[in-house]
Amino acid sequence: MIKGFAGRKGVQLLFYALTIWFLWFAQTTLDDYSIRVLNNIAIFIILAVSYNLINGITGQLSLEPNGFVAIGAYVATLFLLDSDALEYQYYLEDPSSIVLLMHTKSFIIALLAGGAAATFAAMLLSFPVFRVRGDYLAIVTLGFGFIIRILAINNPQITNGSLGLNDIPDHTNLYWSGGLAMVAVTVILNIIYSKYGRAMKAVRDDEDTAIAMGVNTFKIKTIAFSTSAFMEGVGGGLLACLLTSVSPDQFTFFLTFQLLIIIVLGGLGSTTGAIIGTILVIGGAEWLRFLDEPMNLFGWTSPALPGMRMVVFSIILILVMLFAREGIMGKKELFDYFKTKKPKEKK
Amino acid sequence: MDYVTLLQQMINGISLGSMYALVAIGYTMVYGVLRLINFAHGDILMVGAFLGFFGISVLELPFFAAALLAIFGSAFLGILIDKVAYKPLRKAPRISLLITAIGVSFFLENSFNVLFGGVPKAFPVPDFAEQIIKVASLTFTTAAFIVPIVTLILLGVILLILYRTKYGVAIRALAFDSQTVELMGIDANLIFSIVFALGSALAAVGGIFWAINYPAVEPMMGVMVGLKAFAAAVVGGIGSVTGAVLGGFIIGFTEVVVIAFFPELGGYKDAFAFMFLILVLLFKPTGILGYDFEKTRF
Amino acid sequence: MKKASSLAVSIALLSSLAVAKEIKIGAVMPMSGAIASYGQTAYEGVKLANEMQPTLKNGDTIKVILVDNKGDKVETSTATSRLINSEGVVGILGALTSTNTAQVISIAEKSKIPVVAPAATNDQLTTKKEFANRVCFMDSFQGEVVANYAFNDLGLKNASLVIDQAQVYSIGLAKAFEQTFKANGGKIVKKITVSSGDKDYKAAVSQIKSANPDFIFLPVYHPEASMFARQAKQAGLDVPMFSGDGVSTPTFVELGGSAVEGYMFTDFFDPEFPPTEKSKEFINEYKKSTGKSDIASFTALGADTYFLLVDAMNRCEDPTDSVCVNKEIKATRNFEGVSGVLNLNEKGDAIRSAVIKEIKDGKPVYKATVNP
Repeated sequence: MIKGFAGRKGVQLLFYALTIWFLWFAQTTLDDYSIRVLNNIAIFIILAVSYNLINGITGQLSLEPNGFVAIGAYVATLFLLDSDALEYQYYLEDPSSIVLLMHTKSFIIALLAGGAAATFAAMLLSFPVFRVRGDYLAIVTLGFGFIIRILAINNPQITNGSLGLNDIPDHTNLYWSGGLAMVAVTVILNIIYSKYGRAMKAVRDDEDTAIAMGVNTFKIKTIAFSTSAFMEGVGGGLLACLLTSVSPDQFTFFLTFQLLIIIVLGGLGSTTGAIIGTILVIGGAEWLRFLDEPMNLFGWTSPALPGMRMVVFSIILILVMLFAREGIMGKKELFDYFKTKKPKEKK
Repeated sequence: MDYVTLLQQMINGISLGSMYALVAIGYTMVYGVLRLINFAHGDILMVGAFLGFFGISVLELPFFAAALLAIFGSAFLGILIDKVAYKPLRKAPRISLLITAIGVSFFLENSFNVLFGGVPKAFPVPDFAEQIIKVASLTFTTAAFIVPIVTLILLGVILLILYRTKYGVAIRALAFDSQTVELMGIDANLIFSIVFALGSALAAVGGIFWAINYPAVEPMMGVMVGLKAFAAAVVGGIGSVTGAVLGGFIIGFTEVVVIAFFPELGGYKDAFAFMFLILVLLFKPTGILGYDFEKTRF
Repeated sequence: MKKASSLAVSIALLSSLAVAKEIKIGAVMPMSGAIASYGQTAYEGVKLANEMQPTLKNGDTIKVILVDNKGDKVETSTATSRLINSEGVVGILGALTSTNTAQVISIAEKSKIPVVAPAATNDQLTTKKEFANRVCFMDSFQGEVVANYAFNDLGLKNASLVIDQAQVYSIGLAKAFEQTFKANGGKIVKKITVSSGDKDYKAAVSQIKSANPDFIFLPVYHPEASMFARQAKQAGLDVPMFSGDGVSTPTFVELGGSAVEGYMFTDFFDPEFPPTEKSKEFINEYKKSTGKSDIASFTALGADTYFLLVDAMNRCEDPTDSVCVNKEIKATRNFEGVSGVLNLNEKGDAIRSAVIKEIKDGKPVYKATVNP
């Protein structure tokens, strides 16, 4: 379970049980569209809580998710496609032998492979990137995302280039995505409430003092970065199986931007905030579709303004940063509110 | 490849590099005084190009008048962005500023997308820029020469401002130690506005040049240029204006000449700037000409 | 007073409900984002077609529900899912690019909903899929057309290729062209790779110049083609240039200016030579409602997806039986569409002719028709 989690074990178990029941209920009763949206939300929860680990908890602004998600998605896909699928799909050039070697029928192994590949990339990237502090990380990770996309496009013998890979077996259902989301949240919360988490927060709050106190900031940052990458890779694999196809154009900066707005809205540094943010943004994006259509305001019909959604999102981001920088949850978790305030105080 | 073609490509590379340089100067100046990577800077290039397009096509101004409109309009926009989005966060942690800058960038791109649509608009290139010059067996447009020359002139102007005017002294001082400067009675906010105005004006010039060379104006045109210009600023040494120009030339040059030698690498063109960036960060993080900001505080 | 009129209104509504049903068709198109212009152009055609033919033979009204997929795959999947589950559409039109269309198809297959694509030309789209259909020709056909025309009709034996690595369309078309051209005996003297979004082609231009081909084939989209043409002319590279339908839009001429004079490309139809009666009708309606006489191919294709789907629905006993509608689509023969005569086959691919056009005095001018 979660260490340091306020409240009794019973409460935690109840929470888990409720979630599992909800997943079963949704998977068996809801229609395809709702299931799809819930799957999206679950996957983005995994991405958001892990992105929060490097951005919100460790305070290092990194713009890398689209890169790691891409790596995870492609690697998991390559493992899951069997040789028949590979033969007829590789349109541009024949698949390289490495690709033909990678194969597994097990979904979980493919996901883990995706995560591992992303982690490997993260550790490689840690060396140049954490030597310089602060702002450079943002640009370098942004560039890394670009380079991954360019590599995907220009190496058709591995990735089938811009055509991408299709007919991926659709293993993803709510049990997988929801289940893995629960695992991800549990792991992240455990890290946060451990000595590593405390060190990460120290790095965020005052790096110089942390160094003075003997914290190996390079190691801590790398741990946060790599863990983040691993989960983003797994999330990528889940996404690939949900959409049953993967192509380079899915992994642009827009994906990172979505995650950024999610964790900012939810509160940088709050895991429950990230969950709330995901539900709001991903669920809200569907609901906010109406912004793209003609609207009736007091009898005056505005023309359809496709793209208005994005303008509204960027304005929200700016407003949150200006006026409510803490986001919805700030640095607190939802359960902090239920902590020690027992009979006397009301919250 | 023969020397003639090589020379032709080198001049093309310098021309491309100049445009990166113009945008890089703005990045480096803002970073110098505010320690902020203004993600929206590349989009100011786009706004400049659009203003120029608007001036010539809709308002039917002569070219230079439209260019001035673009320059002043962008300078004004730069100051406005600073006042609205960055000034309130002066005391906030840097991560907030960075995120806000990303928000501003996205806002500019998407609102222009909504206003003008994503279809590229043909920029009316003025005749003087399109004349073909033939030297030996090399063919150039006049634009290929005008751009680097104007860039160097503007670099000279900026250096003049920085080192010979009292505002320039204030800017450099602010980059060095912002707290003491305020104690000396200088209005830091005014200086910041000047920096943003100068940087944005240069980006607008870059935008006009870009539109002359590649006459298709669309809302996303500033994204790649902006990123490469930032890489250029870091490679040259962030905080150093001359470094920014140097970095710009290096990156532009490499893009054109490497592809000329190795056309199979065509797809990787955009990656060069980032590879340079990572290399520099690995081996000489302060860049070619730069000095270490973090150290100068103590 | 009020009560009476509202009563009258409700009676009218109820009676209309009892008589005719409303059947929904979905349209998934990129209306915003990077490829918005293609989506907007195609949707124009769908909308006008719906206005021209808003009801089925049996009187049911057809409602087109448009969803913007922003050119993004995740959006496409949720949009398609919503259309099928929440709106209950009988068929889906869209989605422009081959990758997004493939996404629509993979979801629609599961619910047995037919998809009619206006412009997705990638060969593999209909492979192993039962409910995929299209009104455009395939990349392999288009590539063949250009290769044959250039080699046989124009006598150009050496070609240089400019391929956009980032676009499936470009790679597919280039591959088809290369195969046929070489089979005819032609030679490819230079292959250059570029990426969408690139603006600077000076290095590529000088490479091609030194290879000295008879002509250049650029299976790319109009932003890249127009910039390339400009820079080619500036550098003194003056050989015939050819593209596929990716440049079939007035923006191409706007951006290219005088540099695209003499540029040739393949297209689906020419509004100056309407191939069918329906074509003429559509062009007239278009002129009336927009005042323009220049119709982009995508608009014509968009209209055709609608007309084709409705025609198939009319041939079914129950127009909401999507399996039947799908069968009828594939059984379409000699259908007089806006963009030409269409023959569908069991795979859902359209067999149709292509036209070759050339830019003269800033306008695309008809040059030839190539039949399958």
